[in-house]
Order: sequence, then C-alpha cells, then structure tokens
Amino acid sequence: MAEILTAAATTLADPLVWGVVVAAALYGVAIGSMPGLTATMGVALFVPVTFWLPPVPALAGIATMVACAIFAGDIPTTLLRIPGTPASAAYAAEAHELARQGQAGRALGMALVASITGGLFGAVVLMLLGSQLAGIASWFSVAEYFWLYTLGLSCAVLVAPGRVSLSLVSLLLGLLCSTVGLSAVHAEPRFTLGIPELLGGVGFIPAMVGLFGMSEVLRNALALRRRAGIAADAASGQADVGSVVNTAPPVVSVSLQQLFSRPVAWLRSAVIGVFVGVLPGAGADIASWVASAASPRGGQSDDTKMHRIADACTANSSSLAAAWIPALVFGIPGDSVTAMVIGVLAMKNLDPGPDVFQKQAALVYGLYLTFMLANLVLLPIGLIAIRAAGFVMQTPQRILLPLIVLLCVVGSFAINGSLFDVGLMLMFGLVGVACDRLSIPVGPMVLGIILGGPLEERFVQTLSGGRGSLLAFVERPVAAGLAAVVGIAWLVAIARLLRRGHTAKTPDEPGSGQEATTEANASN
Amino acid sequence: MNTEYSQAVPATRRTSREQCLSRGAAVRGWQRLVLGVLCLFVLPGCGQQQSFPARPITLICPWSAGGGTDRVSRQMAMQLERRFGVPVNVINATGGSGVTGFTRGARSRPDGYTLMMMTVELSMLHWRELTEITHRDFAALSLLNRDAAALFVREDAEYVSLADLETAIREAPEPLKASGTAQGGIWHAAVAGWLDSRGLPADAVTWVSLNGSGPSLQELMAGGLDIVCCAVAEADALLASKRVRCLGVMAGQRLPTAADIPTFREQGADWEMAGWRGLGVPAGVPEDRLQILTDAVEAEATSEEFREFLSLAGFDHSFQPATEFGPTLEAQDRLFERVMTSDALGGVAADAAGGMVFPTVIGSLLLLAAAVAVSTRGAAVSNEAALTMSREGVLNAAAVVLSVAAFIASVDLVGFLVAATLVLLVLLLRFGTHPLKAGLIALTAAGAVQLLFAGVLRVPLPRGLWFEG
Repeated sequence: MAEILTAAATTLADPLVWGVVVAAALYGVAIGSMPGLTATMGVALFVPVTFWLPPVPALAGIATMVACAIFAGDIPTTLLRIPGTPASAAYAAEAHELARQGQAGRALGMALVASITGGLFGAVVLMLLGSQLAGIASWFSVAEYFWLYTLGLSCAVLVAPGRVSLSLVSLLLGLLCSTVGLSAVHAEPRFTLGIPELLGGVGFIPAMVGLFGMSEVLRNALALRRRAGIAADAASGQADVGSVVNTAPPVVSVSLQQLFSRPVAWLRSAVIGVFVGVLPGAGADIASWVASAASPRGGQSDDTKMHRIADACTANSSSLAAAWIPALVFGIPGDSVTAMVIGVLAMKNLDPGPDVFQKQAALVYGLYLTFMLANLVLLPIGLIAIRAAGFVMQTPQRILLPLIVLLCVVGSFAINGSLFDVGLMLMFGLVGVACDRLSIPVGPMVLGIILGGPLEERFVQTLSGGRGSLLAFVERPVAAGLAAVVGIAWLVAIARLLRRGHTAKTPDEPGSGQEATTEANASN
Repeated sequence: MNTEYSQAVPATRRTSREQCLSRGAAVRGWQRLVLGVLCLFVLPGCGQQQSFPARPITLICPWSAGGGTDRVSRQMAMQLERRFGVPVNVINATGGSGVTGFTRGARSRPDGYTLMMMTVELSMLHWRELTEITHRDFAALSLLNRDAAALFVREDAEYVSLADLETAIREAPEPLKASGTAQGGIWHAAVAGWLDSRGLPADAVTWVSLNGSGPSLQELMAGGLDIVCCAVAEADALLASKRVRCLGVMAGQRLPTAADIPTFREQGADWEMAGWRGLGVPAGVPEDRLQILTDAVEAEATSEEFREFLSLAGFDHSFQPATEFGPTLEAQDRLFERVMTSDALGGVAADAAGGMVFPTVIGSLLLLAAAVAVSTRGAAVSNEAALTMSREGVLNAAAVVLSVAAFIASVDLVGFLVAATLVLLVLLLRFGTHPLKAGLIALTAAGAVQLLFAGVLRVPLPRGLWFEG
C-alpha cells in the first residue's frame, strides 16, 4: 500500500500533470460558466487531446475539468439565474435572490468552499472504499431506479419555494414535456405534431436556459424604465460590486467557518452525494436535489438559503468522484462522462474491471490523488473566476439584458447545433414568465424534463419485467425500502400541508418557533 | 504510440497542423503540453487552404457524445481535419433512435460540407415507419466498422451453450427476460431474428426495453434479466472478470479480438447480425467534391492510425470502399425489410404498458394537482402585484421575443455574426443605450461570442448563405 502510494505520488510530481490540471481547470471553468455548455460536451472536446497524453495526466485532465465545470455552473446561476449546468438548478432561485441583495460574493464563496470540500470527501471515499462501494450498483435493478428517480422528483417538489400543489403542477408539466418524441421504450412517436425535430423530444438544455435565463430577461425587460432605470442600475450595481470584488481569501475562511458550523449537515450532504454518484444513471443533478431536500426547512431567511446552497454544492461535487467507481470496477459507464473515461482507458490499453485495483494500482491511486489535486486547484481558479465575473454586477441592466439574450440563444443552439432548440428556448422563456405570474416555481419542471424519460423507462421496464404486475415495484427489499422513504416523505409533506391549512385559518395562533416562520414566509 | 500514428500517414499529405502534432509527440513534459493545447486552440488557422474544402466541415453524429458512434466520429473528424486543413466539427444531433440526426443529414445542403455518420438504424427506422429517410438519401463514402451481436448470460447460469439456452427458452415456465437495447433496436432485431430462424414464437423471450448495453449489463448482474444481447466489446470488462459468459457471436467467423467465442453457425444456428457504422454525404453532392471526399475517407479509414484506434477501442475493423458500401447498404435494407416486418419483431412490440399509459397517469395527476392548487388559491398571495404591466415594459419584452424570432428566421441566410449583431443592436437601442455605444458593444460582443464558440469551443455557428457562395 505504502509503495503504491509513493509510486502514485511520483506520477503526480510530473510537471505535465500539473500543467494539464491547470489548463483543464481553466477550460472547465469556461465551459461550466457558459449556460448550455455541459461538462459532458467539455469532456468530448477534450478527449482528442488525451490521445497525446500519458494515462494519468489524461484522466487528471478529465477529472479536473468536470469538477471545475460543476462549480463554475454556480457562477451564472448566482449572477444571472441561468444554471450553468443542470447540477446548479436546485438552488438557482435562492442563489440569485442572495445576489440581488448584494450577497453574490457570499453565495459564491460558499458554493466554492462547499464544492471543494465535497469534492475532497468524494475523492477520499473513492480511495478508501472504491472497490467495496462498487457492490451497491448491483443491488439496483430497474425497480430500485424507479423509486430513486421518484425520490429525486419528490425532493424537488418538496424543497421548491411556495405551495406544494404549485410545485407539483410544475413537476407534472415537466414530466409531460418529457413524453414528447420517440420514447426509448416504445416503438411509437408521441405528441410530435409531425415535426421531425420533436421526435428527439424536448431538450432539457433549451428548456432550462429558457425557463431560468430567458424568463428572467423578459421579467426584467417588463420592469425596465429607460430613464429611471439608468440611475437605479448604477446604484444597485455599485452595491453589488463591493460584495463580489471583496470575495478575497478572508471570505473563504468565513465561508469555511460557516460551512463547518453545521458539520452534520455537511457530512449528510457529502454522503448523499457519494451514494447517488456511485449508482450508474444518477448523477450530480439528482444528488444536489436530494441533498437540498434533506436540508432542514427553516423559513426563507438568508441563512436558510445559504444552507441550501452549501448542502447542494457539497453533494453535487462529492458525487463526481463516486461516479467513476462503477466505470472503473465494472466497465459500466454511469453517465456520458465516465463512458468517455472508459474510452480513454481503452485507448491507453488499460482495461477497467474488478482487478483494476490490483493490476493498475499505481494508476488508480494516482487517479485518486489527482481528484484531490483537482479540488485544490479549484480554490485559486474559482476565486479568480468569481472576481472576473464581478463585471457582470457592474454592467447596467440595459446593456446586460441584450448580452444575456445572446448568451441564451448561443447556449441553446450549441448543444445540438439546432435552431429549433433556440425557438424552444424562446417558448420556455414565455412559459417561465407565465409561471412567475402564477407563483409556480420552475425548478421542478426542469428536473421533470431531465428525469421524465428515465422515470418512464424504468416504470415500463419494471412493469414488463414483472409481466404487468404492479407487485414488481416492491418485490425486491431495496425497492420496498426506497418506496417507503418516498411514501414517508409525502406523508410528512401532506401532514405539514394540513397543519398549514389549520394555521392559515387562525393566523394569530402562536405556532411552534421555526414552524411559524415557515408558514409566514411560505404564504408571502 | 503517438509517433506511430504520424508515421502512418503519407509524408506528401502532411499539413502544418500534423507537423505540429508529430513534433508535439516527440518532445516531453511542458513543451508537449503547451504544443498540444496550442494545437487545439489554433486549429482553425493551422493548415493550408485548398479549393475544396475551403471552410469548416460538419460531421453529424446521430448518437450522443461519449458513445461508440461518437468516438468513431470524433476520431474520423480528427483525421480528416488533419488531411484537409479545415476544421471538421462533430455535431451530436441525437434523439429518436437516430431519426433526428438522419433527418438533419438528409436535409442539409449537398455541397460536401456536411458528412453523415450512418449507422445500422438507417436501414431499420423506415421499416418501422418512423421516418421517410432511407440510405438512398445519402451517397456512401466508406464502411468503417461492423460489430457482430453476441449473447451474454450470467456466469452462474446453468446454460453453457447456445443449444442449452434454446432448450431453456423452450422449456421455461415463464419466458426468459432479455435486453440490450430499446424495443425495436438492433440487438432486439438480432435476438428476434435468431428466435425466428429457430422456429420459436415471437414471445418466447420477454424483451425488456432498456436504454443501451450498459444499463442492460448492469440489470443482468442485478438479476433483472436472463440474457443480454450486445457487441462483445461492450461487455469486455465483465467478460474478462468472469461475471458474464458469452454463448456465441452472430458473425460469419470468429472475431479476431475474441477467438475463444464460437459463432452461431458453429453451433448450428444459421443466423448472422451486426451493427455497423459508415460515412456518407447527402445525395446530390457534385461529382468532383464527392471524389475528393471519397478518396480522403478511404485513405483515412484504411490508415494504420484508424485501425489502431478501432482495435484499442475494441471495435471490429470492417472497411469497405464506396463502391462496395453502396451495395452493402442495399443488401442491409433488404435484410431488415425481412426482419423488421416479420412477426418475430412485430409481435413482441405489444408491451405490458402502452405508449400512452405513462402520459395518461401524469396527465391525470396534473389535473388533480391543478384542481387542488386552484381550490386553495385564496390562501396564497398572487405574485401579480409584483409585476405591474406598463406599455413600455410590454414593448421591451416584445422586442426581446421578436428579435430572437428574427434571429432564428434569418441566421441561416445572413450568418451568425450579422444576425447576432442585429439582435444586440435592436435591444440595446430599445433599452436606451447611446447609438454609438450600442453599435460598438454589439459588434464586439457578437465577434467575441463567435470567436469563443466557433473558434475555441468548436460549435459550428451558421456562417450564412451570403458568405458561402
């Protein structure tokens, strides 16, 4: 063990590794902070470069890129309310709300610190328990996945701000959107209106950019006054600049302190991230929704928002390293990124498999160390990125809004190179404005569109595997356990709803501390 | 390995970029890294211009980034880019089992600047009446690889040969469960065709519609399936670690990469089936350009570099030049006409849950949730107070919507740079920015976005018909 670690450490001494890691970190931050460009796309563009690199720098580059992209996704989320990657959608509303109060620096500082510590936790777990954890994946058949996705979706409904029934409407609308197109499990096209582009379904990137970004632009445009706006912009701009620019090292220590003032919450989120990440087919986005649902609901105060951001960022980053476990041990890719990792391993003549820990020990441990390196490099580069993004806050709205429109257009175009997606983005922008007027949160709708396909597939697969019997959903013990968790979550929510209905009728009744705050805020 | 790649390409064909790369492979450490990164970023400017191709080429890949087809596409794109000296950008036009990508490819202008990565689904989809597009909408360039189907079972299963499995299928009290891909996909057709060739009924095996070989193998190990059908390379790691057993490969002869696996024919089953990938262009490309593309693709597909890529990635190398690939496509079409319209596949399509079950469940829940939301509406404060509509505001929002719509309508004609500048200009002026300042910002921002996305991130932004001639 000791000599393996020494060998692994020497591979890290190579300046090439450091060079690749730094370059990949910059590249990852650029990709992640561009709405519409996902970490997957970044890795696909990076893969040809890995042909010229030895295995450890090649894999280090991919690991660093993804870690940095997932953090960088928080930057446009916070500043513009456009999630840079789907993993940031869970807390877009909270983070942007804080930014509008001039606390962008605090929010981003917290996101950065939580991402780094979460990522480090994931790396340590991968190192200590990698081969043991791989077994978890083989407990999960289609029925378990069905319940896992249902749990993720329920979490999205239960954590969304506002009334549960409206969040549920939002989620169901998203799920309905996801049924458009040629279903993967049926041989028939649905709701395509004869448009060939719709056979491919409603893409979640245009939907996400439209619902969050474009609708925000439209809302601001509706409120924009040509004359009065200029003065107000300047004033609010000034207020925000300070907080962003001030995100220097002292703030990092403050964020760290704040993060670890809740050690249990941090550990819970990190463990959720690892557990979700190790399952093929569930990644950073589900991890961040589940973790923010597990975060206690203590009203809508700034601190609560900060906690949500901390928990979700910890979980989505700690899931990243864990996602490599099934890929390394079984050669089964959990997502497109690890599929490409397997491709790169194959190009280097390294076969993933259960004996990878014995046969390729130096490589695997080198890889673990690069995961840590990746998260350490993220600290300075993330701080630089936060500072660089500060100009967004200095730009007056009348100039910023047109630029965001362009970003939304390019972002929705980039992933498939399709103008149809740009139109789809525009349509979802209008839907977003309508939702805002009706107080319907859009976060659950985005998750519905992302997870609707897999959820329906698992639903149909479980049914056809069980030859039509509904019992197939709860026959296996893990599935039954997950089903119980989902059931309890909903029972608690309904109980809370009924109590709220009661308190709403008698508003003067002094509720029990925290609960009362929740009610008061929820009905605002 | 890196230097071998470069040696394999004829010296006369070397472009400046390739020299960058081979030099990059020869030096070590920092220099190598810097050169590698530089090559990635300066690609569009590196290399000499020819009469054709003179601008970036787009390669449409109908499957998502990271999959096998994507990897083959990107390798081919990289080699063609070096040969031609112009960027070759891969677009993943995904969805509908390939319908989206094939439709995009067939409808793009036949000017030789759009290449299509054709896959076996091209021969299958139109028989399922999912699209009108067939291989006749494309001109073939080269067949690149072919992966034969193979059957896998868990290592602890009691059947060790194809005959055992057949007996088990015949005698099972409840049908065995199989997967490997979605309903009606290539591996489903492979299994259904095999069953049909053995005189077994269509529902002898329950096909669980899983999305790809990865999830299927995972499900096999989790005990939810009895049989998985996929390419041998896709199950390599599990095969090597003795977690799954391969009962046979549906190929004419044993695979060079897995010589210990017997073919179906050796075990007395007269059945072959393989997925394939090949390059094509939309039909109607001018003869001279077609010739240039055909020569280039054939040379790159037979290069040592491409062979080595395929064998390292675990894919089978089955090159066919354009003259043979065309007839192969025709033969594949006939084969799938037989398979896809036979009872074997048609009968299995009847599923436990039809296509409308899930949307109906969701739709009913939606109505229920909406009813609850409306009935409790009094309890909540509407957000409308926060949004007072003014005439100016409505005009602002309308300007945003209309300018994006105008962008969509015009960008193919005028190109990204012009369309984006106009959108920015209109909105900046509308929101009250000084005209001179607005013009400056619009030009700079549109130019910067074009440079970043098209130059560095390789997103093929429309260049505009006006500028292409």
